[in-house]
Amino acid sequence: MSDPVPLTTDHPGQVASATPPAPGRSRHLSDRRLTVAFISPALLLLLAMSVFPLLWALYLSFTDYSATRGGPAHFIWFENYTAILTSAQVHLRTLTTLIYVIGAVTLQTVLGFTIAYLISRRTHGRGLLTTLFLVPMMLSPVVVGLFWRFMLDAQFGVINSMLSSLGLGQVEWLTRQRTALISLIVVDTWQWTPFIMLIALAGLTAVPKYLYEAASIDRASEWFRFRTITLPLVWPLLLIAVLFRAIEAFRLFDLVYILTSGGPGVSTETLSFHVYKVAFLGFNTGTASAYGILMVLIVIVLTQLYMRYLNKLKED
Amino acid sequence: MRYPKRIGLAAAAMLVATTMAACGQDDGAASAPKAPATIPELTKDPLTLSFVWFDWPPAHALEAFANAEYTKERSNVTIKVNTVPNANWHDAIFTQFAAHKTDFDIPILDSQHIGEAVTNGNILDITDFVKKNIDVKAYNPYLLAAYGQFPQAETGKRDENASLYGLPLLGDTWTMIYRKDLIGDKPPQTWDEMISVAEKCQADHPGVSGLAFHQANGSDAAAVTYNTVNGIYGGNLWDSKTRKVQGVLNDAAGQEAMDVLVNKMKPLTAKGSGNWFIDEVNAAVAQGKACIAFNWIAASGGLLDPKQSTLGTTREQILDKLGFAPLPSQKTNLVPLGGMGMHVSAYSSTTKQAEALNFMKWFEQADIQKKWAAAGGVPSRTDALESPEFLNAQPFNKVYTDSVPRMRDMWNVPEYARLVDIENTNVNAALNGAKKPKDALDDIAKEQQGVLDSSSRKGGGGL
Repeated sequence: MSDPVPLTTDHPGQVASATPPAPGRSRHLSDRRLTVAFISPALLLLLAMSVFPLLWALYLSFTDYSATRGGPAHFIWFENYTAILTSAQVHLRTLTTLIYVIGAVTLQTVLGFTIAYLISRRTHGRGLLTTLFLVPMMLSPVVVGLFWRFMLDAQFGVINSMLSSLGLGQVEWLTRQRTALISLIVVDTWQWTPFIMLIALAGLTAVPKYLYEAASIDRASEWFRFRTITLPLVWPLLLIAVLFRAIEAFRLFDLVYILTSGGPGVSTETLSFHVYKVAFLGFNTGTASAYGILMVLIVIVLTQLYMRYLNKLKED
Repeated sequence: MRYPKRIGLAAAAMLVATTMAACGQDDGAASAPKAPATIPELTKDPLTLSFVWFDWPPAHALEAFANAEYTKERSNVTIKVNTVPNANWHDAIFTQFAAHKTDFDIPILDSQHIGEAVTNGNILDITDFVKKNIDVKAYNPYLLAAYGQFPQAETGKRDENASLYGLPLLGDTWTMIYRKDLIGDKPPQTWDEMISVAEKCQADHPGVSGLAFHQANGSDAAAVTYNTVNGIYGGNLWDSKTRKVQGVLNDAAGQEAMDVLVNKMKPLTAKGSGNWFIDEVNAAVAQGKACIAFNWIAASGGLLDPKQSTLGTTREQILDKLGFAPLPSQKTNLVPLGGMGMHVSAYSSTTKQAEALNFMKWFEQADIQKKWAAAGGVPSRTDALESPEFLNAQPFNKVYTDSVPRMRDMWNVPEYARLVDIENTNVNAALNGAKKPKDALDDIAKEQQGVLDSSSRKGGGGL
């Protein structure tokens, strides 16, 4: 009978490889094999559901394949990529997406950080306030889109009803070029400001109190404390939140689909919405794959640049 | 280092296997498989026959009607009509066709979807089945052609030698809905008269807009509106023989139609109505906010429901205020063809395909068509259309019967989904001030021509 295996150790990191197999375990089932056995299902799932579709899409992007027309896929090399990069239609959607991403993420960051800053200064009811602010984030974007569509309806919507009671005229929120894009930004901001707020709040509560105490002793002003203590310490975390939101906003589809269907005309069609049309209206699978791959590449390149800046910020 | 190598090999093997499986679906160019002329022996085991349609009242009416009536003949069969949102209708069906596996047996396709489904081999060729089992003389030839024939029939004509891929399920067209209490009992007879009556009604009744019609850029909403006005003002969508849109759609008649729609009709609509479709138009009528409205007949039943209307507390009170009439004519008397046909999925089991054919044969019988009319459906057989069961069922049913000889459909070519999207987005842009009417029309013609000319495969297709 072997000695019982100790449950704790002073050097937990070294235990896994040094500890002999537990009693009852097969001699062939070493820790390494066990690790592989545990990891394999997740790894296989990842390969089947993520890696393979990505590689398959990459392959299709060099072909003229159509999912409905069938027949073999013919290699056309970079023709899809050239067509996408030189298409005026794509340029228009890129500009729309860019305006949307910059508008929505900027607004969310300013509002999210402001709310987090105000909440962090409260001692009572902070938990309740945080929970209440998080509610929009927990809703499905489709549900959010549907009820905002009703609220923004020019004839029957509550927003115009409120404006009328204030003596202001009706606004065509979803059917005019400028107001439609602004409406999308506002609705996305309503839903996702809590995300920025949550991360900023985590950063704000992690700032050591002794720094503020030292600043108080030195009679530093509120603005000085914010500028030299709060903002520099929260900034890296805030930038990560901005990165996540920017990636999410870049691939916006659901709100556009529900609120405006890309209209009026195509003035609120984002890149993702356009990919959907290319993929499913004409079933041009090869083109849609190339379009998707290009969007992934843009996100990867921008994220890399962003992460480098973030690392540099940390080092400094 | 043995294990990482093994993991790598396993991963590579899996990728190769999955790739092979995916490649295995490329089985060459498709063509529609043929259904047998005679219905094969039907199963006696319990069977569910699945339809797919978009979510609207006729879909629910069909399920209730079929389960009540068809089961009298086939007690082991249950009918299930699966519904999807209108905007997803095409995608929901064709993504399953793309996978070569469908969870429905009878797809209900818009008449314009036939070309795409036929050329991809997604639905059965039922020409021989129709010859043997269906009394084709019982129908207006154009209705039979519109819901089943490919290549498409010219207006009012059916090619007796062309193949058929579907049979009519639900006929439909636009009806003019007008407020008798505001504009009088007699409906306007010409399009120009209709506009001036609406203009006067709007001026006389503040808070009520002159017109309400489809303007949304989803589905085929704005496109059908423009095509209707285009037809009435003598325009054409294309030259089907030469496949020319450029110079045909945007000729003088086409431009006049766009001018009438954007500059004369749009100012008579409610503010913010640029994204209205079926439900919004019905809501405007039911709430007494429109003098004259245009909507699909099959979607108009709810207008007479006192629970959904502010026009009266009983159906009779509502009918005192609402009138239904065929569309006014102008240079022509064309009206849009709506409705859908039923088809048989090429990927269903042979047992279910046999049941689907049997259902179609049963459904197209004279007495069943009359019962379908009484249950709220719009039949296609001439005898049913002229029967008291249909004409007395709803006040707008006579509008359909009278409109049948006037119908014109859009293209039913395989490129339909892209053609209609181009037209929808551009007409919607013109209606909402995002484009000048002439620019919008020229863009439609240019972009649609581009789609028709680039049907052969090449890079960047679909942009």
